[in-house]
Amino acid sequence: MLLQGTDLQILTQPLLRFDMRSSVLDWLGIILKRDLIIAFRRSSTYITPLVFFLIVITFFPLALGPQESLLSSLAPGVIWIAALLASLLAVESIFSEDFRDGSLDDFFVSLEPSFILVFAKVMVHWLITGLPILIASSLAAIILYLPLESFVPMILSLLLGTSFMSLLGALGAALSLGKSAILSAIIVLPFSIPTLLMGTSVVTFSLNNQDYSGFLMMMGAMLAIGIPMLCLLTVEALLLNYD
Amino acid sequence: MGSPPLFYRWSSKIIPWLGILAIIFLTLGLFWGLLIAPTDYKQGDVYRILYVHVPSAILGQSIFMFMAACGLINVVWRAKISGMMLKSAAPIGMSFTLIALVTGSVWGKPTWGTWWVWDARLTSTLILLFIYAALIGLYSSIDDKTKADRAVSILSIVGLAIIPVIKKSVDWWQTLHQPSTFTLTSSPSMSPEMYQPLLLCVIGFYLIFAFTLTLNLRNEVIDRERSKNWVKQIFVN
Repeated sequence: MLLQGTDLQILTQPLLRFDMRSSVLDWLGIILKRDLIIAFRRSSTYITPLVFFLIVITFFPLALGPQESLLSSLAPGVIWIAALLASLLAVESIFSEDFRDGSLDDFFVSLEPSFILVFAKVMVHWLITGLPILIASSLAAIILYLPLESFVPMILSLLLGTSFMSLLGALGAALSLGKSAILSAIIVLPFSIPTLLMGTSVVTFSLNNQDYSGFLMMMGAMLAIGIPMLCLLTVEALLLNYD
Repeated sequence: MGSPPLFYRWSSKIIPWLGILAIIFLTLGLFWGLLIAPTDYKQGDVYRILYVHVPSAILGQSIFMFMAACGLINVVWRAKISGMMLKSAAPIGMSFTLIALVTGSVWGKPTWGTWWVWDARLTSTLILLFIYAALIGLYSSIDDKTKADRAVSILSIVGLAIIPVIKKSVDWWQTLHQPSTFTLTSSPSMSPEMYQPLLLCVIGFYLIFAFTLTLNLRNEVIDRERSKNWVKQIFVN
């Protein structure tokens, strides 16, 4: 009995902390910590997108031939398409597990802002898919003979672009909660086209030694508008399941 | 017109008028455009597909704006009828976008020599078609209809915000890659004899949209409220 009691206490400890009117940042930290622990306990969550990204990258030289000039001119597009698809791969898992085991209900009944919950979920998704892709993209750039000068713009554009994709992906995941994973991809992909166009433009412009800062600013602006707007709409979409 | 029974009664009066007006405008516009308007000195009679192509392209875009407005109303005020409107408008908008793409490529074959060009306008219309498909796909995946309405409303709001960005980025993308060897209808200003029938056609297409939307919406209202008393009263008597 006693053992059960302490077990119960450990389990409910984070929930007890929710009740104390902690500041928003504390709340963000709690969810981030919780979700990152869950993600790192299961290595497939962050390895699968990474491996998927590298496999897709490898397919292009195999399909198109190994000529250096061809590959380096196609590299921006290839890396970007692979990054978009890889970041959509794990999208379905953003809310589905918490929805199934009921923790999402707990998050919503706690008096903390649900906007922060969604934002934390997006951050975790980016940390376990976007960040590995970002690191792997340098490897991909080497494989595809992208010139060294284009590395920085590529990393910058991927940084902004994959973050935006995580935001969009969260909305897609919330809208298709409990449905097939492919549905959320189909919902999200048409809306990711500006990101794809601007991201590849950044890398292509840097290949041609042109000024690419305008595209980066535009992507940053999309991210800045996207964080409040898409997070709020995602909250709205999640609440659909609690009518 | 907010409540479903009120809308139903009100719309049954307006439907014949919409239909008659649409027929008048379309007959006039198409007759004028296809038979009377002068032949283009450059393209010959091929250009006459414009009287179908341009209105449907305009409709494809403005129906999306209409849907996004409905979506916003539905999310903010939870007005039931706006959700149904959104749902009923989606297939119409998608059809017009598809018509615009198909007539465009039919027009492109004799004038440009190819069915498809990666031109900025064509590309963004194609993306619009995909967005319609995403909205309809999302709607059909959710069983509960009011939930589906709100889900689609949320997505259409994102669409409203992102469509200008898509247009702009496609423009940049177009200038980044080789400038298209073809130019869309190089004549900068249309002569009034060609323009006036086009205007009639556009109005006619809007009326057709209003007509089909009202029909769709009536079906939707009856379908969703079939267990309500007012529906029973209409159909029992």
